[in-house]
Amino acid sequence: MTKKIDPFQRMLLIIIVVYSVFVTIKNPGFFQIQTVFDIIKTSSTTMIVAMGLLVVMISGGIDVSFMAIALFGSYTSLYIMIQTGINNLAFAFVVSMAIGIVLGLINAVLISWLKLPPFIITLGTQNLFHGIMTTFISDKSFGSGVLPECLHKFGQGTLFKVATANGSTGLTVSLIPVLIAGLATYFILRKTMIGRGIVAIGNDEESARRAGFNPFKIRLFVYAYSGALAGMMGIVYAAQVNALYPNKMVGDELMVVAAVVIGGTKITGGQGKIFGAVLGVLITYLLNSTLIMIGLSSSWNNLFVGAILVIAVAITSYQERVKNRKHLIFTE
Amino acid sequence: MEPILSASNISKSFIGVRALNNIDITINAGEIHCLAGENGCGKSTLVKCISGVYTPDEGTIQIEGQTCRSMTPIEAMNHGIQVIYQDLSLFQHMTVAENIAISKLKFENTKLINWKTIKAIAKEQLDKIGVTMDLDETVGEISMANKQMVAICRALAQNAKILFMDEPTTALTKTEVSHLMKVMLELKKKGLAIVFISHKLDEVFEVADKITIFRNGNKIGDFNSSDLDEKSLSYYMTGREIEYPRYHRTYKDNTPILSVEHLTRKGQYEDMSLTIRPGDIIGLTGLLGSGRTELAMSLFGLNKTQAGVIKVNGKEVDIKSPMVAKKYGIALLPEDRSREGLFIERKIKENISAPIIDTICKKGIVNRKKENEIAEKYVEELKVRTPSIDTVVGTLSGGNQQKVVISKWIANSPKVFIMDTPTVGIDIGSKAEIYEQIHKFADEGMAIILISDEIQEVMANCNRVLVMAHGKCVVELSEEDLMQEGADKHLAEIIGNQKEKALSQEVAQ
Amino acid sequence: MKKVKSFLEKDIDLSILVGLTAAVLLIAAFVFGSSMYSARNIQSMAFQIPEFGFLALAMMLSNMVGGIDLSIIANANTVAIFTAYVLNGTWAFGTQGGARVALAVLVALCTSLVFGLLNGLIIAKTSAPSLVATLGTMTLIQGVGMAITGGTSVGDIDPLFSSFGKAIFLGLPVIFWLFLIVALVLGLILSLTGFGRKLYLYGGNPVAARFSGFHNEKMSVLVFMLTAVLSGIAGLIILSRVNSAKVGYGDSYLLQTMIVCVIGGIDPNGGKGKVGGVVIAIILMQVMSSAFTIMSLSPYTKKLIWGIMLILVLGLNHIIAIQSKKSTLKKSMKALASAAK
Repeated sequence: MTKKIDPFQRMLLIIIVVYSVFVTIKNPGFFQIQTVFDIIKTSSTTMIVAMGLLVVMISGGIDVSFMAIALFGSYTSLYIMIQTGINNLAFAFVVSMAIGIVLGLINAVLISWLKLPPFIITLGTQNLFHGIMTTFISDKSFGSGVLPECLHKFGQGTLFKVATANGSTGLTVSLIPVLIAGLATYFILRKTMIGRGIVAIGNDEESARRAGFNPFKIRLFVYAYSGALAGMMGIVYAAQVNALYPNKMVGDELMVVAAVVIGGTKITGGQGKIFGAVLGVLITYLLNSTLIMIGLSSSWNNLFVGAILVIAVAITSYQERVKNRKHLIFTE
Repeated sequence: MEPILSASNISKSFIGVRALNNIDITINAGEIHCLAGENGCGKSTLVKCISGVYTPDEGTIQIEGQTCRSMTPIEAMNHGIQVIYQDLSLFQHMTVAENIAISKLKFENTKLINWKTIKAIAKEQLDKIGVTMDLDETVGEISMANKQMVAICRALAQNAKILFMDEPTTALTKTEVSHLMKVMLELKKKGLAIVFISHKLDEVFEVADKITIFRNGNKIGDFNSSDLDEKSLSYYMTGREIEYPRYHRTYKDNTPILSVEHLTRKGQYEDMSLTIRPGDIIGLTGLLGSGRTELAMSLFGLNKTQAGVIKVNGKEVDIKSPMVAKKYGIALLPEDRSREGLFIERKIKENISAPIIDTICKKGIVNRKKENEIAEKYVEELKVRTPSIDTVVGTLSGGNQQKVVISKWIANSPKVFIMDTPTVGIDIGSKAEIYEQIHKFADEGMAIILISDEIQEVMANCNRVLVMAHGKCVVELSEEDLMQEGADKHLAEIIGNQKEKALSQEVAQ
Repeated sequence: MKKVKSFLEKDIDLSILVGLTAAVLLIAAFVFGSSMYSARNIQSMAFQIPEFGFLALAMMLSNMVGGIDLSIIANANTVAIFTAYVLNGTWAFGTQGGARVALAVLVALCTSLVFGLLNGLIIAKTSAPSLVATLGTMTLIQGVGMAITGGTSVGDIDPLFSSFGKAIFLGLPVIFWLFLIVALVLGLILSLTGFGRKLYLYGGNPVAARFSGFHNEKMSVLVFMLTAVLSGIAGLIILSRVNSAKVGYGDSYLLQTMIVCVIGGIDPNGGKGKVGGVVIAIILMQVMSSAFTIMSLSPYTKKLIWGIMLILVLGLNHIIAIQSKKSTLKKSMKALASAAK
């Protein structure tokens, strides 16, 4: 594979750089290590689920239930820990991710069976999962006092600290799960046969079948993987907020979809890059955390993200359309 | 030569309909073998039985002396049977190297990917057929011919011993076909058995060692390619000597209705000029990729022209969209019937009224009575066999579906009707009926452009013929030319010459 | 009897839906008795149906062309915000009373048309999948609303306008009559007019539509503009009922509109479905919703039930589709065999 950076990603990079320069000019306070660390910390949860969503979208599907899965997994595992007094971070992650895998498998089975747009199905399971959790497990909120100690430590933990003008600032430990998610996704997509199968069914399911892939099995893997990452993200999120609510996260999934689409991932499947998705998430968080610095309130966030998304979608779709029309293919 | 595969007494039925009847076939190593027959004659079913997609009801298949009663597709591939389907089954967004290697790796049950291995596999196979290609190019970006090569390499990578190819030349240009033929001969030398499947007399016939003809699920016989010509082949395939009545233009008015001058779209067609009068049936022939469909799309407003003039009734017009084309009385019967021609899940009457829906509205409301009348009229006129005009089009046979597409445009009373391969995949009976209708339309003063690659079809229907190659009109045959004795042979020769030219060009390069 | 049977077979989805609705209505009558069918409760249901109903009709239209419009709720809210600014005098340009209300409605109409045009143009001109295109416009339109309100709610509107939302005519709310009339007109447009026919055909196979000389770009723009106007009306109704407008109102409607469309027999792949089915589904949904309120279920339990319902209905539809496909295949095979003889 030649290391060609594709023009779309280059454009995103340029946008990020130009915007950062602009912000720095407006507000020199932006240009410091703490900003970078802050953005890494706040975007970490989204980064993790964006990786899962990327894999789903490359396979030609979409998932809007991952936030409900994240909530279900983290809430349930932490609830068990609170009830039983277990204080073990590994337990939290393992249980949460296991729940994520199970729920992801349910998604995959429904999508394969009903053969309907996965958006509609996962929108249904989003509500289903959230409803099951709140109805059958609990719908109470828990403050930092009752949460397991290890979670608190994890949420506040830093990898290393850097001395700055006003004290010191640290790089969050949450970067580790992000890196794990990123590397695992890279490994799966680029280095394993199942990863090629994911790309293959995203390209053309029938051809993938003829090449010997089993689309159903691949789909099981894809949604389970997305579920596992969602479960992981749930714990990271709870640790960062240092509280457990039964109604957080759900409702934010479309923002993640937006970020991944801005990163150049095609909803039609078969195409998408990890680096693109990372850039997409970065752009949304960069805007989020810097609008105040350039004198706008954070309520302008959606306007900018929406505009970028609309433009990104329009450009990529239009290029595809022109290419198809040249070959007299009418996709409408 | 030793038989690598022999199938005996193969029979297969679907819900009581016998698709294959006691078929015996032997395929030898180092041989190019052709399975010929009309659509639905059983040739594809046979391939599916051999490649493990279907299990035959009766009969045995022996591969290299080993008897296989029933196989899964994977077992068939393990025996070295590879099928390249017409759509090639490639992954558009993956690289050339990956497309070639992926199936091999999958079947070796590789779990982890090594990109160096992938490239090595791809390079080895491409070298085998003597082709060089950029391994990192995505397949969506390469030409149809190269895609064909990638598909062949993919099959070879899996140690193919028998290579089935379904209509491999339909989407290739002449040069590309000759290149493909060279590759096929090369592979033959290496001891591979190549079986290609076709429904018409194709240039690949010439390199075939053996031709097996099928009709209605029965094997008619094995032939040498030198023993067959267009007529005898068609006789064997259809079971009757068909002599379609020739069309003679009788319409009096000679003012051109549509004229095209120096029309050009780079890479598709160049400097095309033609004039068509009412009652003309102009045959536009030359293989796929010669620019004929592209030209038709331009006349119908679906493909922008870059230079040249289109005149309707002597006035220069700009056909920007099918709506404009419709306004000028130009109609198009598209190549892909079910995708472009029909609303497959809707009723016959809704399909027929689709292009004229605005004109049968009274104050915006669809006039159902009128709609029914029109549908009834054309269903009757074109002899569409259906229980009623409320039948869903998707349940009709191919021939009847095509008649519905024709009706839908005739209801709009076009002045120029462009028909792109109107009889592909249609039974003989419907074919004759469609020809009869085409003659009738022309007699009544409609101008028709008939795109076809069947010489017989062109000869029976056209009073003028344009042969296209590489986007250019190479020969134009007038009414007098066509009336001469042996005009069909002449036409076949012209197309043949184009192929030789292409070959010699390639040698020169 | 035969006629009934053939009718049932002809429109099996609709028949099932009507049966299901009747069953739910009956069960509700048994379980809740007068608390469900009291004049008061019926009236309150009739008050709640329109805002959701208009959104559902909007979603239905986008589904009929094989797409989806995620921006309908953002559209409704932002239209409501613009209108509220006119009605509370901020953007009234000195108008008062009736003139101000008229101006407000005009502004609402124009705003929604602009949003619809935006959707339509992106989808028509770039062939972007409507899911991502409207995800973009949804975020953008929400962003417009957020940017001008800062996330707070805009209230203090002209009482003349809010009285409209509470007005009663012939025992039922005016807005309910409005919904019925619009649904009826929409139903007639779809089933009788040339535009409606083109919409069905275009939704079923847009490529064949282009090859039949349809103006596909125009179709797509028109459909998304109509969708936007319906959402805009929903916005006006929300404003007049709630007396204020803010970003994020009624977010849970997105799932419910989709459920209603699926239950109402709309094929999300396009080209199929009737307004009548959707209207019945809306009523069914409202009755259930009302029952949940009487049972005082938590919003979480409601979510659970809606989720189960969507999956169940999709599953049922799938099974029915397989069955009917099998029977048509058998029929055509039989016809083929008899023709061969």
